[in-house]
Amino acid sequence: MTQRFHWSRRHILKTTVAGAAALAAGRSALAAPALVKGSKLTYWGGLIFSEKANKLLVDTVNKWGADNGIQTECVMINQNETVQKVSAAVASNTMPDALDLSPDLLLVLSRQGVFALVDELYETIGKAQGGWYPAIATSTDTTKLAGGRTGIPYGASGNLLLRRNDILAKAGFPNPPTTWDELVTQAAAVNKPPLFGLGLALSNVGDGNVQVSVMQSYGGRIADDAGKTVTIKSEATRAYLAWLKGAWDKKIFPPGVTTWDGAGDNQAYLAGQAAFIANTGSVGIAAKSQDPELYQGTLYSSLPGGPKGVVSPIQPNLRSIPKTSKNPDAARALIEHLSQPAFMNAYFENAIYGPVLQDQAKLKAFTGGDPILTGLRDLVQKGTAPAFPDVYNAAYADMLTNFIIPKMAQRVVIDGWDFDRAMDEAQTRTQAIYDKYK
Amino acid sequence: MTATPAADIPTVRPAAPHPRRRFSAATQDAIFAYGLVLPVVLLLIGLVGYPFFYAIYVSFTDRVVGNDGQWIGLANFRYLAGAPAFSSAIWNTVVLVVVTGLLKLAIGLGLALLVNQHLPGRGLFRSFLMLPWAMPAFVAYLTWRVMFQPIGGGINLVLTNTGLYPHIVDWLGQRSTAMPSVILAAVWRGFPFWFVSILAALQTIPNELYEAARVDGATAWQRFRNVTWPGIRQVVIITTLLSSIWTANSFEHVWLLTQGGPSDATMVFPVLAYFGMQTQRLGEAAAVSVAMLPVLMILVFVATSMMQNREDRD
Repeated sequence: MTQRFHWSRRHILKTTVAGAAALAAGRSALAAPALVKGSKLTYWGGLIFSEKANKLLVDTVNKWGADNGIQTECVMINQNETVQKVSAAVASNTMPDALDLSPDLLLVLSRQGVFALVDELYETIGKAQGGWYPAIATSTDTTKLAGGRTGIPYGASGNLLLRRNDILAKAGFPNPPTTWDELVTQAAAVNKPPLFGLGLALSNVGDGNVQVSVMQSYGGRIADDAGKTVTIKSEATRAYLAWLKGAWDKKIFPPGVTTWDGAGDNQAYLAGQAAFIANTGSVGIAAKSQDPELYQGTLYSSLPGGPKGVVSPIQPNLRSIPKTSKNPDAARALIEHLSQPAFMNAYFENAIYGPVLQDQAKLKAFTGGDPILTGLRDLVQKGTAPAFPDVYNAAYADMLTNFIIPKMAQRVVIDGWDFDRAMDEAQTRTQAIYDKYK
Repeated sequence: MTATPAADIPTVRPAAPHPRRRFSAATQDAIFAYGLVLPVVLLLIGLVGYPFFYAIYVSFTDRVVGNDGQWIGLANFRYLAGAPAFSSAIWNTVVLVVVTGLLKLAIGLGLALLVNQHLPGRGLFRSFLMLPWAMPAFVAYLTWRVMFQPIGGGINLVLTNTGLYPHIVDWLGQRSTAMPSVILAAVWRGFPFWFVSILAALQTIPNELYEAARVDGATAWQRFRNVTWPGIRQVVIITTLLSSIWTANSFEHVWLLTQGGPSDATMVFPVLAYFGMQTQRLGEAAAVSVAMLPVLMILVFVATSMMQNREDRD
């Protein structure tokens, strides 16, 4: 005789709870990356000037590998060579399992479908640490290009205005300039060669692209809101060029600014040849060890503004996983591990990066009173998204790489072209670039 | 029924004739020789021929990093033809090659004639003159960059301290002085090759020819024109061609000194191609290199023909 089973209310409740728990456990088991013991993982880290930060990253990756039974190989790649190395690796199908890269490169390669989507990981890390800063979130969103996010931001950089407060305060300028005109006024007041007032690069290097921000703060635009039709030639750009020519004619730029390499402004500031420069803060770190007096005499502020406000772009740095990765689960787990506050605090303390997550601003690195890190935190909180007010797309990144605006500036100050001719050339060249992406 | 004799007698097959040799001894030798050089030929096809023709193919595509691209015909070349930097690169490359060539010839020839004389310490002087060539290019050009620095640079210090020119000159930052500065550095680094090539040629001219010319009352200029020049002409031409090819292809002197600036005052083909690579637009970058190919191929062809003729004559 079989006993008939009766579904009591308590029984139903218990079964439901147990089922829900099992389902949840199953889901979490599915979500957890399956790390295969003994598998290999190659990681290309971005080499920066801080040896401590580089070592910390390598050690952390290797320790994570040892803890999880994964053979890690962490190769540090000079960030000036990332484009070439990654390009060669993509062409030869030898990409690592995960890598650090700039948003420009991410943007271009995401169009080609090189990277795996990491939306879930992005959400997980964001939720755990107070959410991403809005400018970081929007500037790294590759959904329109790749159907989802392809990079996890880990640190933001950008330009701060470094000034020789020891000299400027004595000249009656204790506060930083808030407009580009004020900057020229202050720079001209302390311009006594071999100390020159304004150490802004006008050469064909990344630092030269600060001129794009100056132009945009005057209302100049690279392209329209659709990001397709170039609009460089405008009255606003003319106003920017007038500002530049005026400053140039005052002879406040150090000689050589039109051919400076990437370290030109650093060297000029460290050599006492510039009262102001725009820099990521690396000069401050160098001064701290090489010239403590200069370090003490230096103060940091955001870039000045123009008639249309301040344009101070944030440059997020990202970690991505190529689609060709043989160990994508381990790569995801590693990137999540590298976002942990303990590691990031130590990393931020040694590297010149601002926070990308809201909770990171509360880390000791950013509350400890270091003027450079504080400045970078403020930059992330108050700065503008890359390309703002323009549209950040592959054509814009190509325009930056071709140094269109610094070259337009050189046409005016070196070749003596009138503003219309210089704008016409920049307009034509940039439109040719934008047309390639239509 | 009678059996046919053929059925009873066991057939004796005639001995098979010796197989005829399909190839003559000379042909076999040739096949053997070709077999020996085949690995080298395959290696050259793989390492030289394939990249060369592949680069030409890529220049006709819109290839970018991560995407093989499509055949777009001459679109890359049309885009380049409309770019101001391209026309600057053509002009600057021609100026750089011609002017550095002439200066290197003058300096190399002058020093070779000098050192070919019986002078005390001649060996030491020869070694000393080879130093610029022995120095790694990046060290040499970075040193020149430091010397050209407007503030604290060696050249300006000499000029201002001696009172020759009391003003600071931004050697690399002005259109009027940037290219001459690049040329100066390139000549300094490159003249030893000319010097050593011409000196080697000078030493092959028999002394008797000079003595005979002296006996005939030839002046120094006549001796140079009728004895020295015919003896070194072939070497000078080949050196000119090789040096022109190297200078046109050279990247480091312009990149390390000016990066093609100010404006595009020193933009040359290799730097322009490098900028193309930075934007990951491989098709365009390849088009820049391919655009300078015809001229370089003519130079290469002439140089190799002349060297071959010389070898045949020797």
